Amino acid sequence: METNPVNYQRKMNIPWLFNMAWRDSRKNRSRLFLFISAIVFGIAALVAIYAFKYNVQNDINGQAATLIGADLAVSGNKPADVHLKNLLDSLGDDRSQERSFASMAYFPKSQGTRLVQVRALQGNFPYYGAIETTPEQAGTSFRKGQMAVVDKTLMLQFNAHVGDSIKIGNSQFLITGILNRAPGQAGAVAGIAPVVYIPMQYLEQTGLVKIGSRVNYSFYYKFTKPINLDKLTKKLDPMLDKAGMRYETIESRKENTGRNFGDLSRFLSLVGFVALLLGCVGVASAVHIYVREKIASIAIMRCLGVKASEAFLIYLIQIVGIGLIGSVVGAALGTAIQHLLPVIFKDFIPFTISVQISWMAIGQGILLGVIISLLFALLPLISVRNVSPLNTLRLSFDDAVLSRDPLRWLVYLLIILFIITFTYLQLDSWLGSLFFTLGILAAFMILSAVAWLLMRLTKLLINGSWSYLWRQGFANLYRPNNQTLILMVSIGLSTMFICILFLIQNLLIGQVNLSSSGNQSNMILFDIQNSQKDSVARLTRQQGLPVLQQVPIVTLRIEQINGKTAADLQKDSTIKIPHGVFAYEYRVTFRDSLSGSEKLTDGTWIGKATPGKDIPVSVEENLAHRANLKIGDKIVFNVQGVEMPAYVASVRKVNWGKVQTNFQVVFPAGVLEDAPQFQVLLTHVPSDKVSATFQRAIVHSFPNISIIDLGLVLSVLDELLSKISYVIRFMSAFSIITGVVVLVASVRISKYQRIQESVLLRTLGASRKQIFAITALEYWFLGSLSALTGIVIAFGGSWLLAKYSFEIPYTVNYLPALILFFIISILTVIIGLLNSRGVLNKPPLEILRNNA
Amino acid sequence: MYKFKLTFLLLATLIFAACNQNKKPATDEEAKSIIAAQPDSTSSKTVLFFGDSLTAGYGLDDPSEAFPGVIKDKIDSLKLPYKVINAGLSGETTAGGNARLDWLLKQKVDVFILELGANDGLRGIPVNETNKNLQSIIDKVKAKYPEVKIVLLGMQVPPNMGADYVNKFKAIFPDLAAKNHTQLVPFLLQGVGGIPALNQADGIHPTAQGAKIVANNVWGVLKGVL
Repeated sequence: METNPVNYQRKMNIPWLFNMAWRDSRKNRSRLFLFISAIVFGIAALVAIYAFKYNVQNDINGQAATLIGADLAVSGNKPADVHLKNLLDSLGDDRSQERSFASMAYFPKSQGTRLVQVRALQGNFPYYGAIETTPEQAGTSFRKGQMAVVDKTLMLQFNAHVGDSIKIGNSQFLITGILNRAPGQAGAVAGIAPVVYIPMQYLEQTGLVKIGSRVNYSFYYKFTKPINLDKLTKKLDPMLDKAGMRYETIESRKENTGRNFGDLSRFLSLVGFVALLLGCVGVASAVHIYVREKIASIAIMRCLGVKASEAFLIYLIQIVGIGLIGSVVGAALGTAIQHLLPVIFKDFIPFTISVQISWMAIGQGILLGVIISLLFALLPLISVRNVSPLNTLRLSFDDAVLSRDPLRWLVYLLIILFIITFTYLQLDSWLGSLFFTLGILAAFMILSAVAWLLMRLTKLLINGSWSYLWRQGFANLYRPNNQTLILMVSIGLSTMFICILFLIQNLLIGQVNLSSSGNQSNMILFDIQNSQKDSVARLTRQQGLPVLQQVPIVTLRIEQINGKTAADLQKDSTIKIPHGVFAYEYRVTFRDSLSGSEKLTDGTWIGKATPGKDIPVSVEENLAHRANLKIGDKIVFNVQGVEMPAYVASVRKVNWGKVQTNFQVVFPAGVLEDAPQFQVLLTHVPSDKVSATFQRAIVHSFPNISIIDLGLVLSVLDELLSKISYVIRFMSAFSIITGVVVLVASVRISKYQRIQESVLLRTLGASRKQIFAITALEYWFLGSLSALTGIVIAFGGSWLLAKYSFEIPYTVNYLPALILFFIISILTVIIGLLNSRGVLNKPPLEILRNNA
Repeated sequence: MYKFKLTFLLLATLIFAACNQNKKPATDEEAKSIIAAQPDSTSSKTVLFFGDSLTAGYGLDDPSEAFPGVIKDKIDSLKLPYKVINAGLSGETTAGGNARLDWLLKQKVDVFILELGANDGLRGIPVNETNKNLQSIIDKVKAKYPEVKIVLLGMQVPPNMGADYVNKFKAIFPDLAAKNHTQLVPFLLQGVGGIPALNQADGIHPTAQGAKIVANNVWGVLKGVL
């Protein structure tokens, strides 16, 4: 006979499940609100950070375009033949041409002559950025007549003004503007002589372009329709190469501009990853605690005949609903923050951040919120299937039952897969995603292990001789219904992210070298003869300028390596030395110590030669590799007719990234002092005025010396670099703040964990002070220990990132870490105390009624 | 940062050394290669080529393919009693040459071939300055070895420098030759300069083929001196 009144074969009533999910949520709306707010903060953080990231990435790319001024630039030193001309004319949607060459310009008013770089321009170039001039419109209007735009240092040097004229070849041009900045040619070429722009239609009459003239032909292209430039340049490359022409795209210029662009995009990826995990921490901790608290209700429902699968579904529906609402609100909040922040802080942020709505960010945020809610709800919910009605009757519910379910592993696997996938969206590299996820897994395990250890240790340590408050505070860490694991993990992870971001940001900012920073050289004087070196240095200092570097340079060739000459190379194909090693003229220097940009990788540095013995030289890494040189190898140098036997004493790694002199071979002091040589002097000129005066003084006293003024070139780059460093600072500051908010939210949701106990303690007669102390102790231990663990993991993590992802030297500043430790610990205690404030200030019964 | 590999060198460009990739295999002349003091028992007199990259053979597979090497072959094949020294240095200006001259004059010189000025011209150094330095070089050589025969190799700068500068620069060499009673090759790069096929990709340094024509230009004057 059927004894069971419940029909377990009944069909699933879907609307009823939804109904139940809704009804259950009604029970305590304020508590629900708290959980949703944690989700909201997590997702808002994620959406805002993603949106900023996408926007600044676009901004920086736009700025990078101004370095070259066009989508594609093709240049060569020969006029294009007919075939090539047809090809060049077929490219792009808008085209410009430029002819540039060195010439002696004449200023009739001051009767001065100087080498300049003439750029004859046709078309609307630059397409990105502008030829920046004073007055502003001169940069475009000079193209309409026989007018020129002249470099500002040059103007100062010859005391010229707008309205004066300048003679280029046979023609006079009216100076219509002062050139402050221009895109186009990179690096050194532009620095050798100041730039003068003229319209190309007047080039012919200058009479400067004839047979034998050395002219550089440039073609600039803008593509209005999106096009795969990579593919196009690959196709063009062999044809251009055959014609002796080069090409440049914005991407290739970015690569050549150095590591800063790469650093930025790696940093933004890191920020994206951190945002993802902040989102996870926010949502996961909320959902986890929420569902755990529902176990009792589930047990009651089971008593009333609800099937395990039905209970499971009811709460799954509820969680997905909560997750969805939280995510949508979070996405809206994040987008609002993204729009409001730049407006509020517009006086503090020295560049404009575009504020386009990023649907990509919003989409990812909502999707992520729902999926994380679901996955992290699954963890406790799969155990719901095993919740027996008996649980209602038991006062405390033992966690241990929850953890022995094989399905848990499936959920763990899903969570890991999910994190890898979303990381991939940020990093664009599966390998990177895998390592990042493994890193997080390791951090998670370490934090869990520390939490577990803490519980064990406190259990062992506590003894009856302690005061009641201490015992109670400590016991809270391991007793049933403790929050040690969840808070350790969420506080620890958040602290770790904050700390990593801070450390990496510091390292990256250290990598950005602005030429305007004062100790970076932006002017190079060379061909200084030995007899002039002291007076040039004196003159430099007299002008109030620093002598940043003054180095002698000797030219020599390699005659023999280990007894083998270039002739032997010809006869014996087994010698592994490329021919070029012997054909090259090396420019070397001599000194008694290593410079700041050098690092020994092998051997020992010997700064002084011993007379009569082989000379110990230091070889640069790449040369050592190319010429197959090892420590102790014998080299005979030919110093303009004099043979000098030497050996490789050390191998150096040289940082080529800075404006300074670096050498493939460095001799010790005491050998080359008398050899033919010239000197190079590097200095920093703070302004165009100073530059002009200094140049005038040098040219006047030492007409043989050539001066390279990199001011114009570096100013374009400086603007970009300072923007990059601001972006890095801004993104890290913003992410750190959101990290703190998420951390606060995840500690806040522990509010209801302790209410019942605190109220019980109060009814038993505990004073407010006692409860206050107990809570403070518990949160202090949780906060400090997890912050400490998080910071230690951050040290390791940032070291790994610096070494393998950013490839920059790792240095660490302990003070900010210490400050962070105290901030997080104290913050945790404060939130903990705020959580129990209600219990302290209101009569116990009121609280029990509200929250039971 | 830009890759400022020895930035100034890069700039000074023209005549400065660069990477040596894509070199073709060396020729047999390799064996005869290097330049300086390889004492030859049969020769008793010295021809010193004092110059910049054009003398040094910048960008050539083998420095002996530069015009002094070609002339050395000629001297050897004619069994003339001269030893040839190539004291070319890429990037050398007249000021630099003037400063390093003493180092080279330690050995006796019988014929001094002066090929400098091109780098001054390309850098727009004032003509007086170049003139002064060349005069100083000639004076020093004469002071040390009064019997020396000097051959001055004339240079020109490309037309883009402007007619005024071009003409003044061109005039330095005949003026100096007349003043100092030296032999003169009016224009070293006659028949080579401005012809793409005879120059390397940079447009100013002759190829091995171009160097042969340059050597002919010099030989036309030099053979009368030897």
